[in-house]
Amino acid sequence: MAVTGLGKVRNKRRQEEVEEVEKGPFAGAVDLEMQSEDEAEDEDQEGDDTSDDGDVDEFPEIDAASDSDEETDEEEEEEGTDDLGEEDTLDENSDADSDLHIFPKSKKVVSDITGQTKVVYPEIEPDYDSDSSTEDDPNRVGNIPMHWYDDLPHLGYNINGKRVLRPAKGDELDRFLQTVDDPNSWTTAFDQNAQMDKPLSAEELDIIRRLQAGENPDAEYNPYEPTIEWFTGKGKEEVTPLSSAPEPKRRWLPSKWEKQKIMKIVRAIRQGRIVGSKPTAADKKQQFYAIWNEPPSNQAPPLPAPKPKLPTHSESYNPPEEYLPTEEEREQWENTDPEDRERDYLPHKYPALRLVPAYDQFIKQRFNRQLDLYLAPRIQRVKLNVDPNSLLPKLPSPNSLRPFPNYKSLQFMHTKARVRCLSISPDGAWVASGDESGVISLWEVNVGREVKRWSLGSKVGAIEWCPRLDACFFVVGTEEQLHFFIPPNISPAMLTMTQSALAPGTLPPVTQSSIKWISTSGAAEDGPILTIELPSASGLSRQLTWHKKGDYLASVSSSETQGSVWMHQISRRHSQSPFKKIKGAVQMVLFHPTKPHFFVATQRYVRLYNLAEQKLLKTLMPGIKWISSMDVHPSGDHIIVGGYDRKLCWFDLELSEKPYKVLRYHSRAIRSLHFHPTYPLFASSSDDGSIQIFHARVYSDLMTDPLIVPLKILRGHDVQEGLGVLQIKWVNKQPWLVSAGADGSVSLWCS
Amino acid sequence: MGRLKQKGRAGAAKAYVTRSSAVKKLQCSLADFRRLCILKGIFPREPRHKKRANKGSTAPTSFYYAKDIAYLAHEPVLNKLREHKAFAKKISRALGRGEWSTAKNLEDNKPVYRLDHIIKERYPSFIDAVRDIDDALCMIHLFASLPSNPRVSSALIENCARLTAEWQLYVMHTRSLRNVFLSIKGVYYQAEVMDQNVTWLVPYQFPQNIPSDVDVRVMLTFLELYQTLLGFVFFKLYTDAGLVYPPPLDSGKDESGAGVGAFNLRTTNPTPITGAPKNDAPKVSSKEVRQTIKNITAESSSVPFTDVDIDRADHTNSFPDAAEEEFVPQASKSDLDVPSSLPTLLSLSSLPKPSSTNIFAPYTFWLSRESSRSIFEFLIRSFGGRIGWPVSSGGGSPFTEDDEAITHVIIDRPTAKGDTAQERERRRRRKYVQPQWVVDCINAGKILLEDLYAQGKTLPPHLSPFGERDGAYDPTIGLVNVENSLVEVDDAELSEDSQDIEDVEMRPELEGDITSMAALAVAAADDPEALRAVELAAEAAGVDYGTFEKEVQKKQQQQKQKHKGDAAVDGSGEEDMNKILMSKRKRQLYERMKYGEKKRATEHAKLEEKRTKIQKDRRRKARAL
Repeated sequence: MAVTGLGKVRNKRRQEEVEEVEKGPFAGAVDLEMQSEDEAEDEDQEGDDTSDDGDVDEFPEIDAASDSDEETDEEEEEEGTDDLGEEDTLDENSDADSDLHIFPKSKKVVSDITGQTKVVYPEIEPDYDSDSSTEDDPNRVGNIPMHWYDDLPHLGYNINGKRVLRPAKGDELDRFLQTVDDPNSWTTAFDQNAQMDKPLSAEELDIIRRLQAGENPDAEYNPYEPTIEWFTGKGKEEVTPLSSAPEPKRRWLPSKWEKQKIMKIVRAIRQGRIVGSKPTAADKKQQFYAIWNEPPSNQAPPLPAPKPKLPTHSESYNPPEEYLPTEEEREQWENTDPEDRERDYLPHKYPALRLVPAYDQFIKQRFNRQLDLYLAPRIQRVKLNVDPNSLLPKLPSPNSLRPFPNYKSLQFMHTKARVRCLSISPDGAWVASGDESGVISLWEVNVGREVKRWSLGSKVGAIEWCPRLDACFFVVGTEEQLHFFIPPNISPAMLTMTQSALAPGTLPPVTQSSIKWISTSGAAEDGPILTIELPSASGLSRQLTWHKKGDYLASVSSSETQGSVWMHQISRRHSQSPFKKIKGAVQMVLFHPTKPHFFVATQRYVRLYNLAEQKLLKTLMPGIKWISSMDVHPSGDHIIVGGYDRKLCWFDLELSEKPYKVLRYHSRAIRSLHFHPTYPLFASSSDDGSIQIFHARVYSDLMTDPLIVPLKILRGHDVQEGLGVLQIKWVNKQPWLVSAGADGSVSLWCS
Repeated sequence: MGRLKQKGRAGAAKAYVTRSSAVKKLQCSLADFRRLCILKGIFPREPRHKKRANKGSTAPTSFYYAKDIAYLAHEPVLNKLREHKAFAKKISRALGRGEWSTAKNLEDNKPVYRLDHIIKERYPSFIDAVRDIDDALCMIHLFASLPSNPRVSSALIENCARLTAEWQLYVMHTRSLRNVFLSIKGVYYQAEVMDQNVTWLVPYQFPQNIPSDVDVRVMLTFLELYQTLLGFVFFKLYTDAGLVYPPPLDSGKDESGAGVGAFNLRTTNPTPITGAPKNDAPKVSSKEVRQTIKNITAESSSVPFTDVDIDRADHTNSFPDAAEEEFVPQASKSDLDVPSSLPTLLSLSSLPKPSSTNIFAPYTFWLSRESSRSIFEFLIRSFGGRIGWPVSSGGGSPFTEDDEAITHVIIDRPTAKGDTAQERERRRRRKYVQPQWVVDCINAGKILLEDLYAQGKTLPPHLSPFGERDGAYDPTIGLVNVENSLVEVDDAELSEDSQDIEDVEMRPELEGDITSMAALAVAAADDPEALRAVELAAEAAGVDYGTFEKEVQKKQQQQKQKHKGDAAVDGSGEEDMNKILMSKRKRQLYERMKYGEKKRATEHAKLEEKRTKIQKDRRRKARAL
């Protein structure tokens, strides 16, 4: 208890000290009564303090009823917790105010000796309370940066060299609650030296207020002190001059040199050498004169800008009613972008001129016109004023080039599959057509009656009649096999001739070849009389072609290997591959009708070989990506080549390796081409389901170009799975055409 | 082998420069470049091979001729623009420092560029200038009607208004207005000046606001050029017409809103010789004179030397004879504005004189207040009429409403009910017409009947006097087949109606009989005997002869149409086939032309169809009433 008692005493002293400090420089202003109040409060607090002393370790309770000066209250509580062992200097704050010097009140006294007034200060009694400096400030570290003590448990040292311990700080919540409870918390400031919040005194607040207002912080400073006149006023004038030099003449005489300069200007103005500035307004105004009076230069004038189009009837304010847009047209106009519109206005009808409003696009359109004038590149275009029909080439009328097929006279149906190939007998009476299911039909051209049907197991890729007139048979190309068939109902003489050709009694000596010739003479009625076994993996034989004498047969298989082309000689029963090596996949081969030449069409090129001399004669470059078909003109001087890229090229073999003419008129790939053997006709068929008939006249003299006239488009085949007319053949000696389509029909077109 | 050609040294790479490189070369800002291009009339070009012109790049750029840019580099206006840039810096500094007197001095000596030389360059001869004033007239008419704002100064607008008034005065004085068209955009006028058709568009008198997406600076630059151009053109036109330019303005009248009437045209004193010949006389070089003499002596020996000059001085009133005719083209080499086509008296007299320029001369018009005075005063006065207007339309009316001489009143409001006796009297003596009458009269070149255009009547359509291109749909031509089909349709409807009544007793199969018989009759049309047989059969079947005839006619028409269709199909097929043999270029051209033709045809057909529909509707309505 003794310790606490001591603490109480000290506390009281500190309180008094604080009061004194508050009193200090503003003694006159501060009310005395407040002081007494404070005292009374202190008394109360002390009472509290004592009561609280017992529970040391408990967290201090916040008394809602506690007074404004709660801080001190708490400090005391803290002190109570910390008091063991330590000196009680803890609560002895080193007050910032302690630095303030306190002057005792002075008196003015009339001196006895001089008779003047003099300031007399009261005697300082050298007792304990007289000097604040003697008061024990708990922290004696002096004016040093306090952060040196930041990580230490104490704040400094008291006069006795003992540590002044850091006051305990509550956590953030405590502090916040404190600020809430204490109405004066907003007038407190953190004291560095004591490391705690201290309330600001009224004087300090006043200083802050003044600083904020930009006033002098000293309340007693008077900025408007009366001036003291030292030199003005009666009897205070300076009489003697500062310098004894006489006053210069220039002070009262005009300058001669200036006059001379001015006179020079005046003379110049009088003589008209200097002209006064012209009135600016008149200067700015444009003066017009006869600018075109001088003769123009010989240079051609720049081209005038094109004039805008003159308005048409539809732009009228009162147009005929048919010009007014319907609802759809209006909507369409509004939905298109302004730059895509055909007209920049919508026709509108107003019943009277007075009702016509301002045109809101006027300025915009004028502006656009100007943009056109200076931003748009101009090109001079020759306006063609020709009839478009005059551009068409002058060709003889198709009617003068008759006969040519122009209507479908009969149709023969293969029920199962698409018809790949067909062939017409050399006498023009029979058609053999083969489909993909392996059915070969033999039917009459004139009536379309089926005479015989063979069923082979595999797909039929090509059929070709032998051109011999003394014998009658046809070859069918299937998967890796070639079958020779003799049609029924032929004359006995011809039958024996044919049989002797295909299955002679004495077989010629067997030659060395990988190809087997198998005679099946017994089954002449239903089956092939002769079969050629092509090497395995050669695939479907895509094309067959006979030499005109009917002894040699060339076949092309679909395999991409070297052995896709074979030449078979019937009389010797011998097959050979004419090419050791060939570039590209062979699409088609053809015999030259008159010379021992051989055409081979690969994917991109057509090569012409001389079979007798065994050498390459020519390579034709049609410029087609993928050649599909080819045919030679009966004269042998011209060939036509068709491609899957819809192009048809006409080559004149005398002329060049480049095509004489390239035509593109089918909308899909060209499938087949054929020259008529006797008439000047050729036809092309395509995957678009149409057949185009041309008149192609070739002149014997070298000077005249061949005449090609499109005659007729034959339509009638359906397009199925992207395939149209797969093969066409002309009927010998008749201007008739037979076509095989992917829809399973074979049609005869007659003139 | 010649020297190796280096890339970019010749050809397109040298002839074209891109815009950015042009700006770099001229060392001016893009705005200044644009201004120069507008003033000098330089526009981008489209090189034939963009890649070659742009150093191998195909990026979208605009190209200019390198020569055009080189030519711009020597332009005095470019120097002035640079001076102006320096001036702007100086004056902003002076203003920033508050040196007002310096600023004023600078402002007084502001660099100003003149465009006279540019006008002369762009339009070497007067005809070139007149040919190109369409856009200029449109612009000044537009700006004359704009409200002033900080960007468009009132002085500018005033100047534009003055120019428009001067132009209108000239057109009225020379009676050169030819066509007028009231469109939804504004009023199109077409005048014939110096044998050139000048067309301009004037907006209706409403306050216009410049939209925000319009760059006013571009318009103002154009306007700058146009004002200068029109000033010089008007000067020449006025002086050639013997008028003083600029026409003096009566400020009192102008303030009372007299518009065009505020200017008074004053003729120049005829006695002093005009500037042109005076300037011309000393310009004749001795060489030319010698050559002329040689020419003349070769032809006819007795023309004295002094005559040459006299003749040249006033060739217009020289007597026309054969010798003179040959002489003129020789001398014209040194002549002024129209070097190639000097008008001789012979050629002038042979020209068709438009008689329609005075169509309103016998009439006096009164303009009621709802019609635009600026339009109709111009129209009536340029066709010789007199016109008066109420004070509310502006001052300066030559007579008041109660003038006895008034023959026509241009009125644009519905007829009022309550008429005073005075008004009724007036209505009796005057003709009340709607404004469109004036315009249609002008376009027709004669006075039209006023009844169609009387007050309160529905106006006939107003058509463009400029016409459409050849072969376009013409609304004035009555559609012959349309009329026929209309009649037919009507008949059909009528017969249907009548048949409805008879339907009760008529057997349905009878109708089938008729049609089949009619078909037979058509088939047997060329064979009179067969026809006769069919007719008899029809009669036997109890068909009325009239209905039978009608049916036959219908069938015949149908067949004809079918034939036509067939022919068309055949024809198109043949054309298609012949197209096979065309070269690609020609084929494309052909296809383009065909496309255009087809488009026009569909447009035409659409309009015709609409018209028939409208007429049908009208007929139906009329019948229903």
